[in-house]
Amino acid sequence: MNYAVQSTETEAERALREHFDAIASELPGADDAAFAKLRSDAMARFAKLGLPHRRIEEWKYTDLKAAIKEAYPPAKDAAEPIDENDIYDVLGRGFDELLCYRIVVADGRLVPELSHIDGLGDRMEIRSLREAVADDDRRAWVVAELEGTLAPDNDPVVALNTALMSDGAVIRVAEGAEINRPIHVVFVTGATEPETVSLRNLIEVGVGARATILETYSTRRTPQVLRNSVTQVRVGAEARLAHIKLQNQAMPARDLATWMVRLHEGAQYRGFQFTIGSALSRNQIYLRFEEPGASAHLAGATMLWDEQHSDTTLYVDHAAPECTSRELFKYVLDDRARGVFQGKVSVKPGAQKTDGKQMAQGLLLGQFAEFDSKPELEIFADDVVCGHGSTSGQIDETQLFYLRARGLPEEVARAFLIQAFIGEALAEVENEEIREALRMMAAAWLSHSRA
Amino acid sequence: MLEIKNLHVKTAEDENEILRGVDLTIPEGEVHAIMGPNGSGKSTLAYVIAGKEDYEVTEGDILWKGESLLEMAPEERAAAGLFLAFQYPVEIPGVATMTFLRTAVNALRKARGGEELDVAGFMRLAREKADALNVSQEMLKRPLNVGFSGGEKKRMEILQMALLEPSLCILDETDSGLDIDALRIVAEGVNALRGPERTICVITHYQRLLNYIVPDRVHVLSKGRIVESGGKELALELEKSGYAAYQDEAA
Repeated sequence: MNYAVQSTETEAERALREHFDAIASELPGADDAAFAKLRSDAMARFAKLGLPHRRIEEWKYTDLKAAIKEAYPPAKDAAEPIDENDIYDVLGRGFDELLCYRIVVADGRLVPELSHIDGLGDRMEIRSLREAVADDDRRAWVVAELEGTLAPDNDPVVALNTALMSDGAVIRVAEGAEINRPIHVVFVTGATEPETVSLRNLIEVGVGARATILETYSTRRTPQVLRNSVTQVRVGAEARLAHIKLQNQAMPARDLATWMVRLHEGAQYRGFQFTIGSALSRNQIYLRFEEPGASAHLAGATMLWDEQHSDTTLYVDHAAPECTSRELFKYVLDDRARGVFQGKVSVKPGAQKTDGKQMAQGLLLGQFAEFDSKPELEIFADDVVCGHGSTSGQIDETQLFYLRARGLPEEVARAFLIQAFIGEALAEVENEEIREALRMMAAAWLSHSRA
Repeated sequence: MLEIKNLHVKTAEDENEILRGVDLTIPEGEVHAIMGPNGSGKSTLAYVIAGKEDYEVTEGDILWKGESLLEMAPEERAAAGLFLAFQYPVEIPGVATMTFLRTAVNALRKARGGEELDVAGFMRLAREKADALNVSQEMLKRPLNVGFSGGEKKRMEILQMALLEPSLCILDETDSGLDIDALRIVAEGVNALRGPERTICVITHYQRLLNYIVPDRVHVLSKGRIVESGGKELALELEKSGYAAYQDEAA
């Protein structure tokens, strides 16, 4: 392929380019000219940009160029397929028992045998991206969605994903449909060899429809995975979507995850991200209010230990008036872990009556733990209410003493206070079963990290 | 018996002594009051007995049933029977009151070699004790002390005291911030716990509380020392004459 390559290309960047050249012809949509061009253009952008590094403002705290020294080869189908037991081990009891529609994507491909999507009728369509691209009636829609992403062209992670994406889930909830069970999309590694996995999910919730979608990113076999996933969401007018991401990949996995969310008139969106896994993770959320009267609640709970690093970077774009956005992100950081929060809220000219509030809080348990928080407001309208706050601190000694004076052993009292801290974020999850399953995971994390 | 012997205490960051040789003995089953002006060291004494880390004991000892408390962690002191009712009960958002109470009750039962309560057994006990103190079910559903009024917080302290079955109770200014009705409820709650198995130390600025919780002995703490001890009539004298005499004397 002919394109300009940055002069300082690293070995990993070169390997990623070469991977693309090697597998481009096998990727979904390779035989469609528009689709193939989309991919090659994206690769050309990535080649020019390279992996982001700390001198780029948005990546100041998370230097991928330095962190990714080796690009694992693209995911192949696992030699030994994963089964129900593997899924149980990955999810644990709380999520395994969750009554839901489920699709499982192992490495880079959907596993139909483990997916339960029966009984949907015409209320909802769930299929793999690979299948949707092969469908002559769907391809144009997929290409249009992929072309109109919210991420800027110079986002190298999204560009890399567009070039390499091998599969993902396509979920379309029909107009007015109420899907009562959560839809659980489970991504695991089934391969034993290191791999780079690139996934793209497309979610569309029709006018007035309601759904809960849970994405789980986990590792079953190799933890040596560079996972790059992008989920594009469109919530139609007066529709409601609860969208949850759980990431508990084993170390030294790396997780790059981008959500791009478009909200139409009166839509209600609740996004939640629970991060306890991976050596390095970056959660990007691009959210845009397309039309008036919509609301978005974004929240997250991140619990890290050892030398884990997790970065959440938001861009909330109030492009329409009378919209409400709320963000609450909490980090529990033990040992030498590092949590990063960057939250930019932009209120465009004319986006009057915007109501935006943001809060990020870090609880430092480890002496060498670090929390970096960078809230940012950019307001071009005059009739708005916007605010943000950020705190960082240790366990409150007064509270700890009070609990111990009542007979709680120190470790129990600490666990109470940590759970209380993170519980405020978990309370943002409306689905009770999912919330309780997450609480169990948080509790397990506490005993694990203390052990 | 609670024995405080020549207790000298300073804060970790300040060289000035707050307690300058406190000597005090409370025999088992008795109720004693410690009165004193602001800044005399009353709350410091309460915190040091309970094991708060901000203080440094430079001399002396605190013995409960012949054992020194000083080397014990706060939870070990609680297991040994101590309960401190805080002057300012701490708000803990995100901690459910009932979960906390059950964990504390069972932690102490276990530490004292007793049987732990199951959820149903605990609920029954908590309801019964809560009703007696006018603590509503709605209060029990809230996070610990969050959004409670001053009176509600103090009633919650006494409820905890009733549930945790301490043998030594220190009440630090439990009357502060209470109107007369709340004061009566709290005092009745404390009186219900009086008995030969329970030693109680009531710390207060005002005599008022002692109309309801009648003490066996009254001690006056001033500038970090016990400067006078007497019967319950001493409290009435103080109410008339104030603390001025002691403050001059101690100076």
